[in-house]
Amino acid sequence: MNVILSLDKYTNNNMKVKWSNYELAKSYDEYISSENKVRRHIKKIGNFFESLSLNDLKELDSSTESAIKSMGINFRVYSDTGSEERNWPLDFIPRIIKKSEWDIISKGLKQRTKALNLFIEDCYNEKKFLKKSSINEDLILKSKAYFPFCKNVKLPNSAWSHICGSDLIKDIDGVFHVLEDNLRIPSGVSYMLENRYVMKRVFPDLFSHYGVSRIDEYPLRLYETLAESSFRKTKSPEIVLLTPGIYNSAYYEHSYLAQQMGIDLVEGRDLIVKNGFVYKKTIEGLSKIDVIYRRVDDAFLDPDVGNPNSVLGVKGLIKCWKNKNVSIVNAPGCGIADDKAVYSYVPEMINFYLKEECILPNIKTYLMSDKKDRDYVFENIRKMVIKPVAEAGGYGIVIGKTLNNETQEETIKKVLGNTKNYVAQPLIDLSTTPTFSKNEISPRHLDLRPFILSGKDIYVTVGGLTRVALKKGSTVVNSSQGGGSKDTWIVEA
Amino acid sequence: MLSRSAKHLYWLARYIERTENIARMIDVNLELILDYPVDHSLNWKPLIDTLDANKTYEKKYRKYNEDNVLNFLFEGTNNSSSIKNCLDMAKYNIETVRDDLPKSASISLNHLYDHIFRETFVKIHKRKRLTYITNIVDLTQEFFSSINDNLSRGYEFEFIRLGRFLERIDMISRIIDCLCITKSDKKTYDFSTMEWISLLSILSAQDAFRKVSKGEVDRAEVINFLLQDDSFPRSITRCLSILRLCLDSLPKNEKIILKIRTLRLRFDTANLEKFDDDKLHLFLDKCQKDLISIDNLVEKTFF
Repeated sequence: MNVILSLDKYTNNNMKVKWSNYELAKSYDEYISSENKVRRHIKKIGNFFESLSLNDLKELDSSTESAIKSMGINFRVYSDTGSEERNWPLDFIPRIIKKSEWDIISKGLKQRTKALNLFIEDCYNEKKFLKKSSINEDLILKSKAYFPFCKNVKLPNSAWSHICGSDLIKDIDGVFHVLEDNLRIPSGVSYMLENRYVMKRVFPDLFSHYGVSRIDEYPLRLYETLAESSFRKTKSPEIVLLTPGIYNSAYYEHSYLAQQMGIDLVEGRDLIVKNGFVYKKTIEGLSKIDVIYRRVDDAFLDPDVGNPNSVLGVKGLIKCWKNKNVSIVNAPGCGIADDKAVYSYVPEMINFYLKEECILPNIKTYLMSDKKDRDYVFENIRKMVIKPVAEAGGYGIVIGKTLNNETQEETIKKVLGNTKNYVAQPLIDLSTTPTFSKNEISPRHLDLRPFILSGKDIYVTVGGLTRVALKKGSTVVNSSQGGGSKDTWIVEA
Repeated sequence: MLSRSAKHLYWLARYIERTENIARMIDVNLELILDYPVDHSLNWKPLIDTLDANKTYEKKYRKYNEDNVLNFLFEGTNNSSSIKNCLDMAKYNIETVRDDLPKSASISLNHLYDHIFRETFVKIHKRKRLTYITNIVDLTQEFFSSINDNLSRGYEFEFIRLGRFLERIDMISRIIDCLCITKSDKKTYDFSTMEWISLLSILSAQDAFRKVSKGEVDRAEVINFLLQDDSFPRSITRCLSILRLCLDSLPKNEKIILKIRTLRLRFDTANLEKFDDDKLHLFLDKCQKDLISIDNLVEKTFF
């Protein structure tokens, strides 16, 4: 199916783009309506693309690629055979969202993150929600992500997940839903910023014409959020970014953010705990640290508490944190709310803590530990997506419609082996946006990851990182598995 | 500045400077072959002596002939005197400090790395070897000139300079020392002159030397020039002055400055032109020991 806007059908490279030739997939397309008309808020950019020929598109594609190459924007991919650095894949056709629509999303994200942070603090303190709601408290208290050492800890502004990345998808009706919340160490924000930087170089003329909202205040807001988390009240707290090192897949981002904020990028071996405080080793001697923006997993933060063989963390760090001598961002233990089973309770949390109705809808989630849910899912397995509750990066996900009798048996067996470890959701038809691939413009599925900063105030990025599946029909958007990205434009319409 | 970053910058500079000096030594030897009498084969052993690598070398090779020595100096793994090893170390050290350096510097290093890892030296046609070596020197110089032109003066810059000039003094003193101790049995007068000229040319010093000394190349004058001239960038005295400048911009510098001043004083007061080979060797040997203790002190103070 779908040979779409097939420019190479014409041998003429000067043939212009025509949206009437664009063949819609079966999903909601964000540019073109089901009546094959360019949506109203897309008109301007749609017209612009109609002024281009295949030659122009090829040229834009290659100048985007070479900008990325020369700026060295890359990421690292791991496989069985080792790891390699790849150039960041960016499609030059922007993803466009109306400002009026975005304002509601943004409000919804603030509400959601606020409730999640209150939930985390509550779980480690009074446990009000666990007692009063329908949630099975073992889901939290017996979770691997629950750390007893966080008990009775209260943090400034109740911010535990200071930096949250929520994944949003648009369904067949064009409505945004939250797919999951990444509360531990979400990544991707540097690519959001770099995508814009590259696009400004590739389309200098477009930005001035289209009233695209700016996104570049993120590093500053991030710095403020980090500074606000400091237990020591001072105008200029000492902040560092703790990275696992150059072989981490997000090292590019760590280095980028540290540079943008003008803070030191440190590894575990650069830090040391002495007399209850954390210090970095500098050429002038030891220098006290107030805030650690850590991009190291909980388990590796402190060999005294987590993995005893960890060399990525700092011995004694957690104790310093408990004594409020150093702030760790995101706080250890915030992973309890970053679980696909807990996710289904977020609307209830919003009700409970904020006495508000949930603005952003969730996707219906079936808990495989619940017999009724499980029976329903197994009956309708081909229409479902089955996910392990605590994996990230799209790993371990089973998409029902790709199953055959044999793999279906296997999946059911696997789920029954550890029902608490799985949830299921109906397969959502992700929305599409025109994407340039193999000399044609055709629809590709995408999602959106905005980033939410929680400190005194809550800040939401203007748009976020749009990830796009580059293979036709695919819904896997993770860059580690062949996904690409787009610049996200919030425009007045 | 993080201690670890300082350490990486320091060693990055040392390894690139070492690469350059090893390449210079090989270069001169390759040129010397051309001038040698046919009945007289060039002695390649001094190269290995200079680098104090005889033990490692003899584990692998018996004879000190051209192919073996070149193979050792280019390909060797686990051998801190091989060019490939130096560049592997340079690459390792630049990884986490790449963002502190000008992009052009990191690109130069990539070029250098590609240049050296693309080919096996002994397989390169003899006619092309000289150009190949000259390119190595050019690329290391490109790296440092990008640092000089594009990097703000600050701790990063100073640690690079510190590493570079300590390494340079180390290499110059080794090269001179080696010439002093290795005496070929059949050495004629011409021969020795040729060797002193080659010494100058290893250090790109002929032109500068000619400006201060005309006529017959004289051993005492060469030694004087390379050890005590305060204006030529590859003389030990000049390098010591630069180290002093570096340290003035770094914190906690007192002890190291004291060491450098003592070393400088020994060079200033020594009556080098009157030293015979043995005496010069002892003098340079002591200098080597001082350098090691300066390196230790740098390590202890900053890293």
